[in-house]
Amino acid sequence: MSPLLNALACLISLGCASFLWRKDSSPYRNGALLAAFLLLFSVFTYLGAGDSIAADPSLEHYPFRMLALCLCFSTTSLKIYRRRYLVLAQALWCWVELFGAIALYYRGVDAACLRIAALAGITLGSTFLSRISREMEFCLMVFWIAVWFFF
Amino acid sequence: MGLLFGCRKLPLDELAGDLPSLKRFEDEVRLAMSQARKSLDLVKVPVPKALKIPGASIQNRFGMAIDLDLCDGCGKCILACNLENNVPLVPNADAERGRFMHWVEMRGNAPFMCAHCGDAPCEKVCPTGAANHTPDGLSAMMYKRCAGSRFCGANCPVQARKFNFNDAQKLGLARQFNKEVPLRDKGVMEKCSLCLHRLQNDRLDFKTRNPLSEWRGRGVKTACAEACSKNAIVFGNWLDEKSPLVRLTKNRVLYAPRELAALDPSIVFMRGRR
Amino acid sequence: MFRYLMLAGLLLFLPGLGALGYSVYEGPSAWLTDARTFWGTPISLFVFWIGLAHAGTLLSAIFLALDIKLDRRTALIAELSTLVSLVFAGIFPLMHLGVIENFYMVAPFLDARGNLANARSPLVWDFCCIAVYALLSLLFFAVHLKTREIPALEKYRKPMAWLLFPLVLWVHTIVSLDFATTFVPQWRGAFFPVYFIVGAIFSGLAMVNLLACADGYRVRLLERLQLICSWLLCAIWIWDFLFKGYFCTSAFIFAGVLPQFRMVAAVRESRVGRIFLSLSVLIGLFLERYYLVSPMAGTPGEPGFGWIDLGLVAFSVGGFMMLFYAARSRLNDSMEGEGTYFGEVDGSDMANVEESEQFREKTHGLAFSYIQPWSSDEYKTLRYPLLAGFVAALLFVLWICLKLPFFRTPYENVEVTLVNVLPLVYPVIAFVAAVALVCKALWIDKSIEVGRRFYVSLTAGLALLAALAGAFYAGGASETPAGSFASAPLNVYNPADSAHMELVWKARCAQCHGVDGRFNEKFVREFYPVPQKLDASRIDSLGADSLVKVVLEGRVNMNAYRGRLTESEARGLVMYMRSLAGAPDEPDSAGEAP
Repeated sequence: MSPLLNALACLISLGCASFLWRKDSSPYRNGALLAAFLLLFSVFTYLGAGDSIAADPSLEHYPFRMLALCLCFSTTSLKIYRRRYLVLAQALWCWVELFGAIALYYRGVDAACLRIAALAGITLGSTFLSRISREMEFCLMVFWIAVWFFF
Repeated sequence: MGLLFGCRKLPLDELAGDLPSLKRFEDEVRLAMSQARKSLDLVKVPVPKALKIPGASIQNRFGMAIDLDLCDGCGKCILACNLENNVPLVPNADAERGRFMHWVEMRGNAPFMCAHCGDAPCEKVCPTGAANHTPDGLSAMMYKRCAGSRFCGANCPVQARKFNFNDAQKLGLARQFNKEVPLRDKGVMEKCSLCLHRLQNDRLDFKTRNPLSEWRGRGVKTACAEACSKNAIVFGNWLDEKSPLVRLTKNRVLYAPRELAALDPSIVFMRGRR
Repeated sequence: MFRYLMLAGLLLFLPGLGALGYSVYEGPSAWLTDARTFWGTPISLFVFWIGLAHAGTLLSAIFLALDIKLDRRTALIAELSTLVSLVFAGIFPLMHLGVIENFYMVAPFLDARGNLANARSPLVWDFCCIAVYALLSLLFFAVHLKTREIPALEKYRKPMAWLLFPLVLWVHTIVSLDFATTFVPQWRGAFFPVYFIVGAIFSGLAMVNLLACADGYRVRLLERLQLICSWLLCAIWIWDFLFKGYFCTSAFIFAGVLPQFRMVAAVRESRVGRIFLSLSVLIGLFLERYYLVSPMAGTPGEPGFGWIDLGLVAFSVGGFMMLFYAARSRLNDSMEGEGTYFGEVDGSDMANVEESEQFREKTHGLAFSYIQPWSSDEYKTLRYPLLAGFVAALLFVLWICLKLPFFRTPYENVEVTLVNVLPLVYPVIAFVAAVALVCKALWIDKSIEVGRRFYVSLTAGLALLAALAGAFYAGGASETPAGSFASAPLNVYNPADSAHMELVWKARCAQCHGVDGRFNEKFVREFYPVPQKLDASRIDSLGADSLVKVVLEGRVNMNAYRGRLTESEARGLVMYMRSLAGAPDEPDSAGEAP
């Protein structure tokens, strides 16, 4: 994945996140949206990676990482239980990264330790958050984007 | 004067039932060669260096190089290996599926066996530690420790590992040509041992005669290398300048199967001059 | 109704048992294994049943997190199906082993030879995770059964549920890593953890829906979720296809296309239709696991699904029906009454907490909805046990990874990194925390009165455990050298041959006594007291017979060599030793370097 496409992926996740958990939306709608997003992310990864898809094992869980990022973004628009879902969404992302890294480690790809540590740290840290203000939301989003890009 | 001492368990001389004739072993090799895979996807690899695992020897790393320019694919090495290591026959049903026990098989008209990877994936997933690495570069098997989970076989990218699906001794398919190598029980994995027993014999003999010198495994040859009339299989010590392996691979281009290239194989192919 | 289902289960189970016995006798060649992966049907069944085994706990945990209330009967059915599935999930990996009696070698247990299971292997992770999961579920179950008699136990149930929640996900993730860590092209997939968890939830939902149909009722929420899961799984399958180019069409039809008929009212409203939907999902998911485990099974030249494979399927399906409905009819009375069974625990009372939170929010506005972080009661009960768990995990990781010289591990010649042992970390934490929680409840809080019977059974249990541990410890010990020596001497040699005796001397005796008979000072000073000087006058005064006896039986620091040397060899050695000592009047020069 080139840095440009990586940035685009982040942007797509952010865009998709705004469709989730709308007020009074049915579970069907949210479930279908999640499946559709996953499909979208898969197709995006497939087209974006082109021929390198077979050669680059780190793309294997790319759509799932996008989905986890999307879920993280989507928690900022929740009304109640924000801390809980925030922690859960970040834990999911951490989970995807950690076990993806372990699987890849056995096939000779080095684990992105910094990213996993950062995610684990922020997941643990955000359990200490009290009320999540607009500023805090912004900081979290910046942090996630930073993790996505740089770690 | 042969081997004097050893803690290896020695198998019984007599086996129940009739022993299979040598001809059956020859026939099976012929059958296996007729079913062999025709293609072998090779990529260039560097010369193997000392192992990176903790506790590895800096003196010895045994391996082989197979000279594709000399090899004519006659298959003598397969039979020699089978007789040396008491590789059992398989029942007809298995033979039809190409499920032989041969440690050496033909791929792309050249002998192919476990590459004793320095970074062996089979050893990583073995739950009991039966598949392990010796400090001098052999990917070894501890048969008595094997629980038969077959994870190693699944994780070998080139399927060099063979599983004892049948009780060959009971079925009368095994014969102990070589007393120094035990027959394997049903349910354990096996594969090329790089003629471990020959190395061990030589080491014990050397250590006994020269207790203070460093053993480099000079003069040892595996059964397949010994059997090759073209001398296309070269056994030796990658870390010993005087080893035939190092001398003969100098100025040659080394190759390994594509799946193994990143796993630091000890057994490589050579073709052409540099 | 239940009785008929039980009988049907028995009818399937009995021939299945025959197939199981045959496969245990015959070994892995009994069932279909493809050339590439060696595994075949038992492992597909293992993945299938372990998925179902997690469904019950997963459902309650997820519903707990999402504040969805599940009625008591459904929760009970889900939990019961979990326990029964776990039994079958445990049988298959055991019976698929080539050498079944060596199964204990997979357990992380140090034996007399210093062998330990390979902590890098996903199979060892599997074993540990499932063992801890089973242990914790049992403990949880026992605690719940006892709460009626001892109400004080009530407050430990929720903390235990919190310990179990990540463990369930962890176990299924580890099962997925069995595949994802390998080099098999069809199993490439760093996304397998998510994929397997979605698959497990999907199959669990289908199973619970099916069991609810048999009970004569339905849970619309679970049916809806089943439909949603099918979409998610289809999306994952499509990614799998885009990524690798493999696609299991039959699984897609059964578990992807057919469940969509729930959208047709006529299907959804009839009981037969609902049974058909759930069954088709279960069949599809079994086919999917089958395809996953044996990717080459369909290719030409490979044999097909045989009678034994069918028998193994029948064994597990029939056994499940039999066990489940046997337990179900026994529990029938208590299911209507007060809680006796685990599962609904976390559902109701946790939901009350959430409800009050929501209520507070609604009445007082957002200002009062704030809960202090890390302030819940469960956390307060759990914090010290959890701390113990974390410390144990830390020590464990340090022990394995650091290779400290004074604290040796069996992995000295193996490259083990943090990544290799991370999957074992949570099971260690959960196990130690659970044990610490039990200890806390028993001896620190003293909230439970335990009688003498408890201590007696605890002591007996620990003694049994110790005995088993001892047996396994010794199981790794080698046979005595005498045994292997006696079974077959390798070469027949002539003991009078002095060249041979020289070699024996160098190999057996020279480490201490020196190549030239004047002891190896460097080695000896480091490890042992100095041996007797073997000068000629001493040898002569002792006489050959007594020296032979010393060689064979040992004396003071000298080891006994009976069993390693024959008597004639010992005699030959004494003669060789005498020849090394030279003439009797030669001055002794023991300190000289060789």
